[in-house]
Amino acid sequence: MANRYDDEKFGNVVREYVRGRISRRQFIGRGAQLGLSAAVLAKMTRPSRAAANLIESDPVAPYESPITPERVAFLKTKPYKGTALNILVAKITVGDCLKHYVPQWEEQTGGKVNVAEVPIDALHTQIFSDLSSGLGKYDAYMTGCWFYGDFFVPKDPYIVSTEKFLADPKHAYWDPDQWIPSMRKLYSWNGKIYGTLMDGDAQALYFRKDVFANKDVQEKFKAKYNYDLPAPPKTTKEYHDITDFFTGWDWNGDGQNDWGISLHAKVNEQGFFHFLTLSAPFIISPDNKYYFFNPETMKPLINSEGHLRALEDYVKFLANGPKEQIAWTLGQGWDRFLAGHSATEPTWGDLPTLAQDPKTSKVQGKMGAAPLPGTTEAFNPITGEWKNYDLNQVGNTNGGTWHCVISRMSKKQEATYDFLSLMANKKNALWNAATGWTGVQPGMKFEYFPPIGTGNVEEWKALGWNEDDAVEYLKAYYAVLAAPVQQEYLRIPGAAEYWHELDVNISAVLGGQMQPKAALDATAAAWEKITDRYGRDKQKALYQASFT
Amino acid sequence: MAGRRIERLEHGVAFKYALLLPAVIWVFAFTFLPLLAVLRYSFSSYVMGEGITGFVGFDNYVDVLTSPSFWQSIFVTVIFVVVAVPIQLVLGFLAAWLVTLGAPGSRTFTTIIGSPLFTLEVAIGYLGVTFFTDQGGLIAVPLAALGIHVPWMSTAFGGIAGAIILDIWRWTSFIFIIVLAGLAGIPGELYDAAVLDAKSHWQVMWHLAVPLAWPVITIAVLLRVVECLKVFAIPFALTSGGPGTSTQTFSAMDYLTTIQFFDFGKGSAMAIVFLVLVSVVLTVFFQQMRKSLA
Repeated sequence: MANRYDDEKFGNVVREYVRGRISRRQFIGRGAQLGLSAAVLAKMTRPSRAAANLIESDPVAPYESPITPERVAFLKTKPYKGTALNILVAKITVGDCLKHYVPQWEEQTGGKVNVAEVPIDALHTQIFSDLSSGLGKYDAYMTGCWFYGDFFVPKDPYIVSTEKFLADPKHAYWDPDQWIPSMRKLYSWNGKIYGTLMDGDAQALYFRKDVFANKDVQEKFKAKYNYDLPAPPKTTKEYHDITDFFTGWDWNGDGQNDWGISLHAKVNEQGFFHFLTLSAPFIISPDNKYYFFNPETMKPLINSEGHLRALEDYVKFLANGPKEQIAWTLGQGWDRFLAGHSATEPTWGDLPTLAQDPKTSKVQGKMGAAPLPGTTEAFNPITGEWKNYDLNQVGNTNGGTWHCVISRMSKKQEATYDFLSLMANKKNALWNAATGWTGVQPGMKFEYFPPIGTGNVEEWKALGWNEDDAVEYLKAYYAVLAAPVQQEYLRIPGAAEYWHELDVNISAVLGGQMQPKAALDATAAAWEKITDRYGRDKQKALYQASFT
Repeated sequence: MAGRRIERLEHGVAFKYALLLPAVIWVFAFTFLPLLAVLRYSFSSYVMGEGITGFVGFDNYVDVLTSPSFWQSIFVTVIFVVVAVPIQLVLGFLAAWLVTLGAPGSRTFTTIIGSPLFTLEVAIGYLGVTFFTDQGGLIAVPLAALGIHVPWMSTAFGGIAGAIILDIWRWTSFIFIIVLAGLAGIPGELYDAAVLDAKSHWQVMWHLAVPLAWPVITIAVLLRVVECLKVFAIPFALTSGGPGTSTQTFSAMDYLTTIQFFDFGKGSAMAIVFLVLVSVVLTVFFQQMRKSLA
């Protein structure tokens, strides 16, 4: 940009395009008039790779858009009449999302889908009992990404790559090139795609921007902490002040005391992800990418000085929310924020999405969103040194990124992929990401607004979103997914077990049964045993490979 | 004659063995062989997808016996047994006694009290979450309104107490039904005679009903102790074993180790150690029971 004036003009052009008021061609043309490279603009707003062969819709496939001519011809034959699929899912919102597509697929293809649901804490057991016993009852499994390493323990992996099906235009169309790279990595193993698009998890900070913008609140904050209320907080120090400030008084005027933060920390659920995310900037930095293990020795890093300080910090965060958070499930944590009783919540994108439903939310149009706060000091557990930074903020892909993988024992792999691809089709993927109860978050560029992707806010508004909430959420979410400094995602065999040990020990600290140092030392000792059982050299090779 | 008698006897012995054979096969196949398999696993390292990866001697046993979590889970299980079973016994017996006395509404009460027995334990555990949560819980909120704030879900005490309350609700009717049958088996004329001699129903209960129903009571207690030592679904559904592992029972810990994380080696060692501990407890229990019956 030549100057501030051009910058603003281009910003207006972007906003017009995001809001769907001008076409892609007009966007490129106006950008070029402002001196920007048309080639770069075209690349920024690149349509899907097979766009030339796509049609917008066809009566034979009412639930898909866009669609290939080959798909239209294929569906006319009711190709899976007499085929029944068995799919195992977790009894969580993403499982409900999958079930939503069962009648649609059955109508279009003539096939049948039987969905078995298990509680989230039993999902890993059910999947790997079925696979390791050789029963192979299921054609596909809904998986959390941290299960991936376990699928690849046997020489002949338990799941099959979907790349051969992806290349076949007779299946529902979706373009893996649209994936944000950090998300694509989670659906792949050794560079090959195994998963079919559903979810795209990351944790960001959500806050009540209306309350943060209140003049009285701002004055009170400044009087207490001697600096302006930061919206959003940039550092964990600021975030602590904010959670402390908003705790224990009635800032929403409903006669009840409110809270500064809402978390869920019930053991054996997904609460440990909060610790992983909030602790990251104490350990991960431009100078260190290793959080879990020393890649040379596979010795745990989890009881390093940085982790210890992070855990002490995490305990303080919990103290600024309701005491019962320690036993809350994910939904209970969200409910407190959605009911308007919590000023902030560091969590997944479900929260702003659920906030759009006025039946269950009092905070639509009031959602602020930002990457999670960083630190000004981080510990490098490899060199054993603290180092200062202006601001060390860390992105993440923490969460399940729940999606389905196909069993190698399935006799109906192609039909199974066909069902899964229906959910990955652009029309459905966007609907999933924008609809609260699906539990699905956006991981594809077409869901984001230019210059990141090709989406536009009108699509989100049509799905019930407040315009500002959508813009702010997607901007923050992308910043988390594409942050230059990213927290690693543990996907080696036994990841579920490593995380379980961390989970129970953190919970013991929160419950007052252990001191942070003892808890992290106990976690490290347990991790050593797990590593030895799986084979240190094998684990080391896989851990190192996860960074390539 | 002698030859024929021997032949008949041999035929009889063979027939007896033949009758016993299915039971022997059953026990061998479904008790002895699995026990041998568990023993073998307990001395091995096991990885899901690879199977047994090596012989590790007593490492798994050392791991288990030096694990604070293991002893914590034993402690929680024992607390469960020593608190829940006596309360269930007292409540179940008193209810059965009142029904035996023909208290008003006995028939309706007998029908209602049995209903929790037909409810899945895991469902009761999840239902407990709605009872004890601070967000509108059916038990927590009224108590809080009375100024009684129990940290049901956020502390070990609250979690165990909540799980024990649910277990008592579920299983008191079991004691009630067995004891009711035992009390019904006492001849009516003994009651009639005792009522004439005694000053109160309390004396009749204590000096007549309890001693005569004692064999039935001990069986009921034995069954409840065995079941309670295996307690899993209610506390696990309610608290998931947390905070930390503070409400994790032995069964939950063994489930997580063996089934969730496929560590068959450590899980099997855990099961063997527990089997030994329980065998000792039950042996003592049986000895005491024999003495009291004698």
